[in-house]
Amino acid sequence: MDRLAIVRSIATKPSEHFQGIDLLTRGGEARLPFVRPVLGSVLAQQLGQLDSAIPNFIFLDPCPEGNEFKAFKAGNWAGWLGAKYGPVRSGGDYGIPDVNRVADLSAADQGDREALRRFLAKKYENERKSAAAGSQNAVFERVKGLMSCAPLFDLETLPQADRAKYGPGTFGNHALIARNLVEHGAPFVMVANGMPWDCHVLNHETHQMLVPELDRVIYHLVTDLEERGLLDKTLIIAMGEFGRSPWLNASHGREHYPNAWSMAMAGCGLKRGVVTGKTDADGYEPIENAVNEKNLFATIFSALGIDPYSEYDIPNFPTFHLVEDKAAAIRQILA
Amino acid sequence: MKESEILAVKAEPGKVHKLATAVLGLDVSADAKQLYAACMDGGIYQVDAESGASKLLTKHESYASGVCAVPGSSVVISSGYDGVLQWHDVSTNQTIRKVTAHKFWSWQSALSPDGKLFASVTGQYMVGSAKYDPAPETEPSVKIFDAKSGEQLHEFSHVPSVQAVTFSPDNQYVAAGNLMGEIRVWEIASGKMLASWTTSAFTSWGIIKSHCYQGGIFSLAFSPDSQSILAAGMGPMRDPMSGNGKQTWQKFAWRKANAPKIDEIHDGEHGGGHPESLAYHPSKKFFVMAGRLAQGKWNTGFFDDGSGGLIHSVDTKGRLTKAVFSGDGKKLFLAGAVGQPKAKDGIYADFGRVFVYGIV
Repeated sequence: MDRLAIVRSIATKPSEHFQGIDLLTRGGEARLPFVRPVLGSVLAQQLGQLDSAIPNFIFLDPCPEGNEFKAFKAGNWAGWLGAKYGPVRSGGDYGIPDVNRVADLSAADQGDREALRRFLAKKYENERKSAAAGSQNAVFERVKGLMSCAPLFDLETLPQADRAKYGPGTFGNHALIARNLVEHGAPFVMVANGMPWDCHVLNHETHQMLVPELDRVIYHLVTDLEERGLLDKTLIIAMGEFGRSPWLNASHGREHYPNAWSMAMAGCGLKRGVVTGKTDADGYEPIENAVNEKNLFATIFSALGIDPYSEYDIPNFPTFHLVEDKAAAIRQILA
Repeated sequence: MKESEILAVKAEPGKVHKLATAVLGLDVSADAKQLYAACMDGGIYQVDAESGASKLLTKHESYASGVCAVPGSSVVISSGYDGVLQWHDVSTNQTIRKVTAHKFWSWQSALSPDGKLFASVTGQYMVGSAKYDPAPETEPSVKIFDAKSGEQLHEFSHVPSVQAVTFSPDNQYVAAGNLMGEIRVWEIASGKMLASWTTSAFTSWGIIKSHCYQGGIFSLAFSPDSQSILAAGMGPMRDPMSGNGKQTWQKFAWRKANAPKIDEIHDGEHGGGHPESLAYHPSKKFFVMAGRLAQGKWNTGFFDDGSGGLIHSVDTKGRLTKAVFSGDGKKLFLAGAVGQPKAKDGIYADFGRVFVYGIV
C-alpha cells in the first residue's frame, strides 16, 4: 500500500461490459465512424519502435472466450492508428503459434525467403497504395520479431522462485511474463484476468480466491520492479471497467456499478502511498474529487511524460486529442 | 403418515418474519415457539415464531453462518465467518464460551441429533494450479467439538473449501462436502474415513469469462436410516456468473464400494438456481431442498424419499439458505433473504426473511 496511488472516486457511465471496456480502454466516447485507439495502441505509437523485436503492445489473456469481452477482443483495437499498433495476443489457449523456424530450414535460407517476401510485399503495397497491405507487412515484421523474442513468453525459462512468488494461477503466470517482457523493453503489456470478478452470484465465495491472488500478484509485481530499479520507469495500472453494487442481490452477488468505483496505480510519475477521492458512507457515489475516464487517461499520459492534450497527427483526419476536452489529470496522485 | 398422504403433502404459507440482514443459518426450539437465526450482520437472534419479535443474543465479528439449538438445554451454538464458535445460554442471555475453531470462515456447522457433538467446516479456496484447482488445506477442514464442554474432539482433512457438513441420524458418522463436489464420510468414534467420492454435478469451471471453480456442495443430509447421503447444490454452468445451473440433488449409497449414485433430481422436475439446504421431514418419508430460483417454478421442492419424485413445491422469491422442520413436522421454516435494498434516508429496509409454512 505504501507504493500505491489509489483513486476511490471514479464515476463513469456504461454499466455493461462491452461498453465499459470500450470506454475504459480508449479513454473517450465513440465518435463513429472514427474509432479511438485503446491505451496500449496509443502507447505503442508514443513509446514503441515499429522495428522493435519485442512487440510494442502485448495482451496476455487467460480466457480467449468471454462473452462481452470476447466481442471486444474481436474489435478494432488500434482504431485510427492502424493495425500495426494492435496487440500481439498470447496466453490462455491462444499461445503464439508458428514462431519457431521449421526444422529443415536453415537460418540463411529463411533470411533469403524473408527478404524476397518483404521485397514483393513492399512493392505490392507501394503500387496499390494499400493501407491493408501495409498493416499486413507490419504484422509480418512483428512475427519476425516474435520469433526472436519468443523465449520471453516462455514461463519455463523463468526462475522457479519467481514462479512460486506469483503463484500457480494463469493470472500470476501472465503477470510474471509481463514483468519479464517489461524488463526486456516491452513498452506496454496488458494482463487480463478473465472476468471472474463479474460476481452476480456467489460474491464472497469467489472473492475468497480472487482477492488473495490479486493481492499477491500486485505486491510481487510492484516489489520486483522496484528491486530492479524499474518502478520509477514503469507505470502499473490495476483496474476494471466498472465497480460492483454496494448492495447484495438475492444471489449473494453484486451487480455492475459504474457510479462509484476504485482503481490503483503505482510507479513512474506518481506519488507513493496516496489515496484520493471519497464516496458517501454507503459507496453510492463520490462526494470528493470525482473523476471520469478522461481524467484517468490524462493522469496516465501525464505520469508517462506524454502531453495528454496533444493532437493525433493523421493527415486528412478530424482533430482528435489523446484526451479530449482538456480533462484535468488527477493532480492529487501525480508526483 | 401413509404413502398416499405423502403424495398429497402441501405447504401452506403462513407468516413471514423480517430480520435486518440476510439469514444464513436457522434452528428451531423443540416446542417450535422460538427460532434462532444466524445473520449476515454477525448477529444471532432469537425470534418468536408466532410474532416475529426478535432479540439479539450475541454477535460474531463477521457473518454468522450457522446456529443450532442444543436439545434438552437452553444453549445455542453458533458459527461465523470469524472462524469462532459461540455457546450462548438463551435463558440468561449470556455467552458462556467462545472457541476459535478456524483461521478462516466457518462455512457451515451442524449439531448431532443427540445434541452431543458440534461440527464446523472451513477452508479457503486458494489457487493451486494454472487451471485454478484448489490448493491443499492449510488447516484441518473439519472439526468436531463436544457440544457441552466445547472441547475439540476430532479434526479431519478435506480439500478446501468445505462448505457442507452433516451428522448421521444414528450419531455415528459425519459427512462433509466441498467446492469440487468431493464428499468424505468419517466414523466419529474411530476418526476413520470410511468413504470418499466425487460428483461433478455441482461444480462449475468457467469456460468463458473466468477460469476458476464455483459452486460445489452446499448441503448434505443422511437418509433416516443413515445408509445413504443426499447432496445438494447448483449444477455446472457455462457462465459461472449466471447462477442458472440446474437445481440439483443426488443420492449416494455411501456404504457401498465407490458410493454409487442411486438417484438424483428427476428430469423435468427442476429449474435453474442454487439450492443451499436439505431437510428431511420428521416422518422420514420426504425431504425438501431449498435455495434460490433463477429459472423455473420453485425455490423449495418437496421430494418423496422413496421415489425421488417432486411431490410439491413453493416459491418464496429470493434466496433461501436454510430449511428446518419443527419437531412435530407440522411446520416448515425457510430462512434467507431478498435482495439487499438501497438505503432510503440512510436507512436500509430489512432484507432477511423467515417464511413459516404449515405442512398438511
